[in-house]
Amino acid sequence: MKHHDTITGLALLALCAIAYWLTTGFSEVPAMLSQNVPPTFFPRLVISIVATLSVVLVAAGIGREPEITGRSSTTFWRTVAIIASTGILASILGTLLTLGIVAVALPIAWGERRYSFIGILAVCLPISIYLIFTLGLNVYFPTGQIVGLLLEN
Amino acid sequence: MDLSLEYALPVLTDPIVIGLIVAGTVMGVVIGALPGLSSSMGVALLLPFSLYLEPIPAIALLSALYCAGTFGGSITAILINAPGAPPAVATAFDGYPMATKGEAGRALGIAAVSSASGGILSVLVLLFAAPLLAQVAYSFGPPEYFALGVFALSMLASISGEAPLKNLIGGCLGLLIATVGIDLTTGVERFTFGVPELYEGIQFIPVLIGLFAVTELLNQAQELGRERIAVTVSALKLPSLDDFRRVKNTILRSSCIGIFVGVLPAEGSTMAAMVGYNEAKRWSKTPDDFGKGAIEGVAGPEAANNAATGGAMVPTLALGIPGSATAAVILGGLQVQGLRPGPYLFEEQPGLLYGIFFAMLLANILFLFIGLLGAKVFSRISLVPRTFLWPTVFALCFVGAYGLNQSMVDVWIMIISGLVGFVLKKNGFGPAPIIMGVVLGGLVETSLAQSMIIFDQQWTGFLSRPITLSLLVLAVISLIGGKIRSVLRRLLSRTNRTA
Repeated sequence: MKHHDTITGLALLALCAIAYWLTTGFSEVPAMLSQNVPPTFFPRLVISIVATLSVVLVAAGIGREPEITGRSSTTFWRTVAIIASTGILASILGTLLTLGIVAVALPIAWGERRYSFIGILAVCLPISIYLIFTLGLNVYFPTGQIVGLLLEN
Repeated sequence: MDLSLEYALPVLTDPIVIGLIVAGTVMGVVIGALPGLSSSMGVALLLPFSLYLEPIPAIALLSALYCAGTFGGSITAILINAPGAPPAVATAFDGYPMATKGEAGRALGIAAVSSASGGILSVLVLLFAAPLLAQVAYSFGPPEYFALGVFALSMLASISGEAPLKNLIGGCLGLLIATVGIDLTTGVERFTFGVPELYEGIQFIPVLIGLFAVTELLNQAQELGRERIAVTVSALKLPSLDDFRRVKNTILRSSCIGIFVGVLPAEGSTMAAMVGYNEAKRWSKTPDDFGKGAIEGVAGPEAANNAATGGAMVPTLALGIPGSATAAVILGGLQVQGLRPGPYLFEEQPGLLYGIFFAMLLANILFLFIGLLGAKVFSRISLVPRTFLWPTVFALCFVGAYGLNQSMVDVWIMIISGLVGFVLKKNGFGPAPIIMGVVLGGLVETSLAQSMIIFDQQWTGFLSRPITLSLLVLAVISLIGGKIRSVLRRLLSRTNRTA
């Protein structure tokens, strides 16, 4: 265990407090079902166990040397940004176009400079997904707001 | 359970099942050989697509991938000292030194034969032990299932010796995730935040894709630039008969260890491999050679990690309690297919056990040949640039998460799970305990609620049933056993020093 664990434990305790507070907002159980175990019972039981274990984690980490960890690189943060933005992009540009963009953005973010290969991946990946999933398995992906607007016009 | 051939033949002669097993084996070896991709992740990625198949072919495909993926990890462990999957970590200890001495073919051959032997032995155990365990489980009621769930979760404390506390917290976080949605007994919404897509709970597949694959993608982003030195397989020199004679006892011993560790809930191939390696070293006549290229050091972990695959399927199928992280994913697959893992599974799907048995058996035989003849080809898989591999994996994650319900909410759940999983991993929390908690959540909560009604809301009721009591005692032992052992060891060494 490292000193780092004290902070992790405290963060978990905060999470438990929030989760417990959320359980106080659960609706009332209808009278005819009141003989059952209340809906708050199990979540609160689990929250209490996590809180107890987190206290142990906090206590075990106190007084220990902090763990030396390297800072995350720019590449890492770029990757996080690309992944996090795919959900938003997919609703605007559509899934297939978004995956094509990911196929360009991720290799470039990771330092790949063989642009012809990147281009091949960017074209082949969405096309293969369309052929296999949409045509083969009837999985229809969102076309996105922009394509929707274009189709309306 | 009826073991008659009446149910076996349709499965064993179905060309679709055979084709899928072959495909699953090849995919498994490829996935296992790719550094960063494990059999758990492979099964997680393939699971959404397997739902387009009938239950038996789907589970056969996943089971074949599970076995072959566990073996595949040894290829890169031996050739480039980068285990393709965690169960192959111990294989690299002696496999890579062998490869640097120009004995890569010998190491790969020993790995293939040991893996196949361990795997075949374990599926034989699976065929007979699973129905027997299911017979026992017929008498289980909600209190027994609750105690079994608690026991399985308590075993998380011993998955990794370094972080038992964090594994337990991870398992509980998984249980908490499983409470999201409408409570089935009262109809009350829990943690849904008014999002209609969450009324039925957080879908299992996007969570596991996020935790396994997206988390690993982020991990890879941090590890870019680390160089790996590849060893070429100049000549595929197979192990000699003398080599096999030397390792036959190691294979047998490690296979038994692997099966035993695999049967234990939550323990998986990684732990089996570590125990298999340590025992191979302990029994060896030349323990000093370990770490320098001892063939027993390759045979031990490889036989154990593949034997654990069949072992892990025993509690998964017979009790609905996963024996490993990958088995948890397969269990989730059974549930999503609408099947009820547990004793009644074999009655409802009489061909299923044969499907899994046949898939695992054939996969073990197939990868033996692949390992012996195709090692040179598969070793090239590790040369696929990560810059092209991971965008493709992410596209599969996206499609896999979206495809099940065709809902973007599931994609968001996958992305959030991946980001949270990465933060947790950086703080020492692995994805496997969380997945275990998510899978067991429904069973534990439902059986607890039913038990409390049976016992008239009295906790002491659990102590009145022998099986329940035994399982709860075992749970306590597995929770505090490690601590007691280390205290005793400290006391013993102090006594020895004073003496």
